[in-house]
Amino acid sequence: MKLSAHYNRSNILITLSVLIVGAVIYFFAISYIIQKQLDRDLTEEMTEVVNYTNLHNSRPVLLDIDEEDIVFTETDQQHFKTIFYDAPFKHQIKNDGDDNNGRAVKTLISVNGKNYFLSITISRDSTEYLVQVIATITLALMAGLFLILFLTNRYVSNDLWKPFFDLLRQLKTFSISEHTRFTLTSHKIDEFNELENVVQQMSSRAKKDYRTLKQFTENASHEMMTPIAVITSKLDILIQDNSLSTAHYQQLQDIYSATSKLSRVNRSLLQLVKIENDLSDETEQLDLDQLIIEKADQFTELIDAKHIELSMDLNPRIIFASRALIDMLLNNLFSNAIRHNIDHGLLRVTLTEEEMIIQNSGILNQLNEDTLFERFQKSEKSEGTGLGLAIVKSICNVYGWNISYSYKEGQHFFKIIF
Amino acid sequence: MKILIVEDEKELRENIITYLNSDNNVCEGASTLATAITKLEYYNYDCVLLDLGLPDGEGFAILEFLKEEMRGELVLIISAKNSVEDKIKGLNIGADDYLIKPFHLAELKARLEAIFRRKAANSNNKLVFHEITINLLGRTVDVNNTVVPLTRKEYDLLLYFIANKGRVISKNAIAEHLWGDEMDMTDNFHFLYTHIKNLRKKLQDASCKDYLISIYGIGYKFLPE
Repeated sequence: MKLSAHYNRSNILITLSVLIVGAVIYFFAISYIIQKQLDRDLTEEMTEVVNYTNLHNSRPVLLDIDEEDIVFTETDQQHFKTIFYDAPFKHQIKNDGDDNNGRAVKTLISVNGKNYFLSITISRDSTEYLVQVIATITLALMAGLFLILFLTNRYVSNDLWKPFFDLLRQLKTFSISEHTRFTLTSHKIDEFNELENVVQQMSSRAKKDYRTLKQFTENASHEMMTPIAVITSKLDILIQDNSLSTAHYQQLQDIYSATSKLSRVNRSLLQLVKIENDLSDETEQLDLDQLIIEKADQFTELIDAKHIELSMDLNPRIIFASRALIDMLLNNLFSNAIRHNIDHGLLRVTLTEEEMIIQNSGILNQLNEDTLFERFQKSEKSEGTGLGLAIVKSICNVYGWNISYSYKEGQHFFKIIF
Repeated sequence: MKILIVEDEKELRENIITYLNSDNNVCEGASTLATAITKLEYYNYDCVLLDLGLPDGEGFAILEFLKEEMRGELVLIISAKNSVEDKIKGLNIGADDYLIKPFHLAELKARLEAIFRRKAANSNNKLVFHEITINLLGRTVDVNNTVVPLTRKEYDLLLYFIANKGRVISKNAIAEHLWGDEMDMTDNFHFLYTHIKNLRKKLQDASCKDYLISIYGIGYKFLPE
C-alpha cells in the first residue's frame, strides 16, 4: 500500500472518529442545555401555580391556552421532594391521538389544608425541532469537512509526492555504466530536495568509483600487453637456438600457450570494458544472416577438423548494431560451440526475425545457467578464458537482447531473443 | 630492407632487431619520438615500425611528419591498444598496417613483407623462392611451371613460411596467423597439422623440394635452401 494511501487512511480514520466523538458530545451537551432550559421553564410555571394557590387559597382555573398540562391529584402524603421527569405530553386542544415527548415536574402542594400532587407537563416539540436542525447542520458540516479532507489528501498529497515518484522513476532506470545524470528539480519540500541531493551525490560517487575501476582494468590490461609482448618475442628468439633439446622445446611450448592465454584473457577484459563504453556511434545496419554465414566460413577448418556436421537455417534478419561487437558475439558463440563439441558432433544455427539459436552437441552435461554467463565461470577441462560468455552477455545487454541457455538430450542451446 | 624500429621498450626493440636483422635487412632502433624524427630527417628507410605510446608523445606525430615531408617509408604501427579509432586514425594518416601487441615476431615479419610486396606490386607481382613462383595478384602458386592448387589457408601458410624462412616458427604463431588469436583454439593443434600436411603433400606432388621440417614439440622451420 502506498504511503499516501496509508497516510490518507489514518488521517481519515482519525478525523472521522474525532468528528463522531465530537458530534456525540455536542448532542449530549445541547440536550442537557435544552433540558435545563425546560426544567427552568417548569420551575417558573410551578412557582406561578404555587403563588396563585397561596394568594387565592384555591386551585387555579386550568387554562388550555398555555402549551402546558397541569394536573392536581389528591394525596395523603405529607412529604414529597419535587422531581423532574420525562413524560408523554398530550395536547389538550389539538389532540391528534399522538403522544408527544414532554417534560414534567411533580411536587406536593397544599390547598385549603388538602394535599395535592401538582404535575405540570410541557411539550418538547419546539426544542426537539431545534435539536434536529442543529444535528442536521452538524452532520452536513461533518460530511463536507470529511469530503474536503479526503479530496485534499488525495490530490494535494499526490502532488506533494510527485518529486518523490519522479526520483524513483529515475532510480529505476539508473545504470552505473551509463552516462545519464539525475535531473534535479527544485521543490518547496526540503526533505525531497535533500533526498535528491543525496541520491545525486551517491550516484555520481558510484559512477566515479566505477569509472576508476574500469580505468584501472583498462590500464592494468594495457600495461600487461607490453611485458607479454616482450615474453613472446623472447620466446620467438629463443626457439631459434639450435642447441635446444626436445624437452626444452616442450617446456617452451607450455610457456607459449600460457602466454597466449594470458594475452587472450587480457584482451577479453579490455573487450568487456569496451563493450560497456558507449558504442552507439558505431551502430550500423547489418545483415545478421550474412554475418553468420561469413563467421561459419571462417570457422570451416575447425569445424571440419572435428568432423562436426554444420547446418544452418537462416532467415534474413537486419539488425542495427556495431559490427565489431556482433563479430565478437558470433566469434565467442561459434568458438564455444566448436571447442566444447564432440568428434562427429552437431552444430546447428537457426535465425528468425525474433531469435537466434545456436545448438551444439557437447562433451559436458548440463551447465549451470545461473553462473554460466558470469566472468571466469568455466568447466575444469575448458582451456578458454572464462570470459567468452560474459562478453556475449554484455553485448546482448547493450542491445537489450535476452540470452538464455537450455539443455536437452545431450544438446546445448543458446538462444538470443531480439 | 632498411628498417627503423620506434619502440620505447628496450627488450622488445632489441628482439625485433635480432629477428629482422638478416635477409639483407638493416635495422635501427629509436626509443623516443625525438630520436625517431631526427633519424628520419637524416636518413631514408624502407619501413618504419611504429609504437604509438612513446614517452615523449604519440607516434602519430611521426606519421604526420612523414606525410608532410611526402616521404615514401612504409609504416607498420605496433600498439598495445586494440582500438578501432587508433587503427582508423593511423591508417588515415598513412600507416600501411596495424599490429596489436603482443604479437609473434614471425607475424611481424610476415606483415612487413606483405606491405613491402604490396608497395612493389606494381613493378613486380611475383615472388620467387627457388622453384616456387607465387603470383601475388592472382594468388596462385607454380612449382616448376606447374600450377599447384592451394586452398586460401594453404596459400597464406606458404607465404608465411617463406617470409620466415630459416626460422623456427611456433605452432601458436602459425595458428594465430591463420585464425587470429581471438579464435581461442590453441588447446587443439590438430587442425593445424592437417593444413600443413596437405600443403606439404601438394608441394611434393609437384616435385618440389621439401623445405619444411618439423621441430618436435614446438613447431616448424622452412629451410632457406
